[in-house]
Amino acid sequence: MIKLPKFHIGRLTLLLSLLVWLALLFVDLVRIFGMINSLESGISSEITWILEILFFICVYFFYTNSLEKNKQKNFLEMVWRGASTGIFASGIALVIELFYFSLGESKLGADPFLKNFFYHINFALTTIFLISTALLWKTLILYQKTKQVVKQWQAFEFALLVAMFFVFFNKNNLDYSFIFGLVILLIISAVLAGNLKWIPYLNFKEKWKSLLFLFLILVSTAFLFTRFLAYSDAEIYQVNLTDNLFLISLFGFIFLYGLFSFLVTLFNLPTSSVFEQKLTETINFQRLSQSIKPEENEEQVLDILMDSCMSASYADGAWLDVHEGGKNTPIQLRFLDDKDRESLAKIMEIPIEEWEKSTSVNLLQPLNLRLDHMKYQSALVVPLVVNNQKIGQILLVKEVRDGFNKEMIGIITTFSRQASIAVENHRLLNQAIRNERYQEELKIAQRVQKSLLPTRLDHPDTFEICAYSNAADEVGGDYYDTFAISEEKYVLIMGDVSGKGTSAAFHMAQMKGIFQSLIQLDLSPAQFMIQANSALSRCLSKNHFITASIFLINTQSKQICHSRAGHVPTLFYKAEEKKSDFLMQDGLGLGILRNRQYENHVQEKTMEYGEGDILVMFTDGIVEAKNQKGQQFGFERIRSLVELHPDKSPKEIQNILIDTLHDFVGGNGMIDDDYSLMVVKFHPHHLSK
Amino acid sequence: MLRLEKTKEDLHDILSLDGEVDASNSVILDEAIQDLVQNGSRSILIDGRNLEYISSAGLGVFMSYLEEFQEKDITLKISGLSPKVVEVFRILGLDKLIPIYPDKTEALAK
Repeated sequence: MIKLPKFHIGRLTLLLSLLVWLALLFVDLVRIFGMINSLESGISSEITWILEILFFICVYFFYTNSLEKNKQKNFLEMVWRGASTGIFASGIALVIELFYFSLGESKLGADPFLKNFFYHINFALTTIFLISTALLWKTLILYQKTKQVVKQWQAFEFALLVAMFFVFFNKNNLDYSFIFGLVILLIISAVLAGNLKWIPYLNFKEKWKSLLFLFLILVSTAFLFTRFLAYSDAEIYQVNLTDNLFLISLFGFIFLYGLFSFLVTLFNLPTSSVFEQKLTETINFQRLSQSIKPEENEEQVLDILMDSCMSASYADGAWLDVHEGGKNTPIQLRFLDDKDRESLAKIMEIPIEEWEKSTSVNLLQPLNLRLDHMKYQSALVVPLVVNNQKIGQILLVKEVRDGFNKEMIGIITTFSRQASIAVENHRLLNQAIRNERYQEELKIAQRVQKSLLPTRLDHPDTFEICAYSNAADEVGGDYYDTFAISEEKYVLIMGDVSGKGTSAAFHMAQMKGIFQSLIQLDLSPAQFMIQANSALSRCLSKNHFITASIFLINTQSKQICHSRAGHVPTLFYKAEEKKSDFLMQDGLGLGILRNRQYENHVQEKTMEYGEGDILVMFTDGIVEAKNQKGQQFGFERIRSLVELHPDKSPKEIQNILIDTLHDFVGGNGMIDDDYSLMVVKFHPHHLSK
Repeated sequence: MLRLEKTKEDLHDILSLDGEVDASNSVILDEAIQDLVQNGSRSILIDGRNLEYISSAGLGVFMSYLEEFQEKDITLKISGLSPKVVEVFRILGLDKLIPIYPDKTEALAK
């Protein structure tokens, strides 16, 4: 039992205990020597008592230290530690007894020195057993401690300390004060012995083992105690070490706590399976709630669920129906063969149908059935509901009639709910991951689409130009471009696909392709629209159309030719008149009339332009942008802003328009449509330079 | 928000629109018109007195039926639109393809 201590305190206390014990032995031997030789050794009893107390204290510290290091040990190991020390101490005592028995009446058997030596060995081992076991009991008593228990224990320790010194007061007589002290200590022991919270945590097997160990402790305690009693009757020991209040109280304490533990463990045996069951349920519950990691699949959650339900209900068989496409697919067959399952499913088909119809999915309670089956007598059907939808049901069967009680149904319901939540979370999590991937894809689409818009706008020195586009979603349906046909002929174009988002973005790409190829044909604006309509009619989906505006600028003749296909009219500011107008001539959107009739619905108009004239092309996203009050930005705001700042550069005008638009919509307001803007300012005289 | 109401007056099916038509609810409008077509309607009047706003997606719905109506000889008329909404139809050029009347009685009379 004596372990080699690793740390200095352990070694020191061990060494000290040994030295004190040797001193104690030496003092007694000297005393006996004196007695035999009729010499007065001059050593008073007090010296022995002091050494004895020192010995107790050293052993106490040694074991406190040793237990501190082995704190994580489980209960069974601790009880075993006590039992093994007890067996060891008793064993040695027994061997000594046998030794003397074998010696019989020989001279050696009567030798006082030898007797004294063995007496000291027994005393030391018993003390070690008592103190170490008392400290083990302390750990057990203080398991799940309350403040009150800690106080009681401290009082007990204090009383024991007093008991150590009691010997100075009563000079080792068994008088009333001794009995009084003993009774007080025993009462405290009995109170402390009520703290047995560690016992329920032992499982069935551990309980049996601990019963055995406790029994060994009780037997050792009783045996060592009888030995002590025998010593106190013997006359040969000059100074009695064993009639000590401290030791006798410890005997009482250890025996009482051992007895209580033994009895409580014994009576706990039959119910221990219930406690274990509850513990398993708690662990299962935990496993279910943790099983939502994305890499795990639903099968694993259902697997845990089935295990949990089986163990909670002691079911003899079970399976799980998964609803998929209006059909029940059985999975997770437990202790049932396909034939049994089929026959059971047939019997339960009608009651389950009625049960499902009886109430809404969320209010479905488990269905407890009596079965008319040759093997199974009762069944329990538990629904699995995820997101207001029944995704399946657990079917548990038992060979006994009415095999599912209220408690089982309660816990199984909780399990299935928890599993449903786990499945739901699992699905949501996967969906979130999927969504994230879509977001990534959209970001790529966004980059691709941005590259469809020109980074550089073709223009000569005779006009300045700038443009801006913003999509309501990641991608949008607005498009603008410029194209130099010849040195003096430039085309400006702006288009807007109806709707927004991904579908609009795809059409926008088609529009760019068609526009780019048509531009190179050097068509008149109206012809351009007619050709564009014809081409787009073949590729636009049924309810989509495109509006577009085209300007053909001739820097030589200082003329612009314009055609409008359903697009919001362009603002044309005439610097000379300091006035602006919206170019609202007839023109049907592209893709609306998908036949030759379109030719009748498009016009073109030629205008002259002069120094400082401004063109502002935009899409309906700007006109229809709404503020908090639901008012639209409208055409007139655009007009007045341009008329207020005719001397500004296109870039400045564009910024003013966009800033005003954002102010209008409001700080956190969103513009719910794609919007684009292109501003052109003419300086025809630059050419002459 | 869009509320739809279907009524019948003589041989005309009247579809009253109340609220706004945008990308989120243009499907409802589409389904309503499709319903009327399937029920063999010969004349559909869209009553837009309470129509506050129509987006390009909403216009797309009307546009998508133009050809089908022409083939099946179904007449489509719109009435009672506010000036702002009429402007939207005008800009796109749809007013040239779908007759738009100031009020319902006038629309039904013609």
